[in-house]
Amino acid sequence: MIYQVSYVVVGGGHPGTIMNQEERPEVGERVEFADQEFEIVEVLEIIPPRGDFAYLHATCRPVEGSE
Amino acid sequence: MNMVSTDLLKRLGLFSDLTDDQLARIASLCREEVHDKDDVIVREKEPSTELYIIQEGSAQVMLGSPSLPGPTPIVHLGKGQIFGEVALVDQGLRSATVKAVANGTKLYVINRDDFIALCDQDPHIGYIVMRNIAADLSFKLRHYNLTWR
Repeated sequence: MIYQVSYVVVGGGHPGTIMNQEERPEVGERVEFADQEFEIVEVLEIIPPRGDFAYLHATCRPVEGSE
Repeated sequence: MNMVSTDLLKRLGLFSDLTDDQLARIASLCREEVHDKDDVIVREKEPSTELYIIQEGSAQVMLGSPSLPGPTPIVHLGKGQIFGEVALVDQGLRSATVKAVANGTKLYVINRDDFIALCDQDPHIGYIVMRNIAADLSFKLRHYNLTWR
C-alpha cells in the first residue's frame, strides 16, 4: 500500500506538506518536513482507499526546539 | 532523453489504474529534470504547458499577494506529488509559484500537448488520468481546509 499523507500543522501558520510514503503514519510518531520536526497527534482517513493507494490526513504539532 | 521506468510510474497516484501498456505510452512522454534548492520551477501568472511529478526531493508552493512584499508558502509537496496540473485542466496561467526546497529534487515533466494527443489516441487514458487529477485536487483542497480550520 502507498499512503498519500496530508500533514496538517495545528494552529495554522504553517502550510504543512503532502507526500507519499510506504508506512502508515501513527499517532505519537515524529516526522520531518520543511527542515522541521513534528509529532503526529491525529490520523484521519477521510477518503476511502483506491487500488494500491490510501489517503490520510495527519494532524501534527511542532517538536519544541526543532526549528 | 532517459526513458522513465513504468515501475516508477505505477507508484504514482496520477497513473493509478492504468495498464502496463498505457503506462509505457505515458513513460515515452516523460522527461526528467533535476533542480537544486531554491530553483524556481514554475512562476505564478506565467503561461503553462507542463505537468510536473516529484520523484525525489520536495517543492514549495507559494502564492503572491498585493498586500505582502513576497510570496506566501501554502503547502510543501514531497515524493509522488504533482503540480502544474491546474494548467493541464484549464490551460490558464500558472496559479502559483513552485520552487525546489531540496538539492537534487528530481521531477518527471509531461508536456500538455503531448498528453492531449495521447488522450485523443486512447481516450481511456485521458479519463483515468483526469479522474486522478480531480481526486488529487480534491485532496489538496481538503488539506487546505484542514490547515485553516
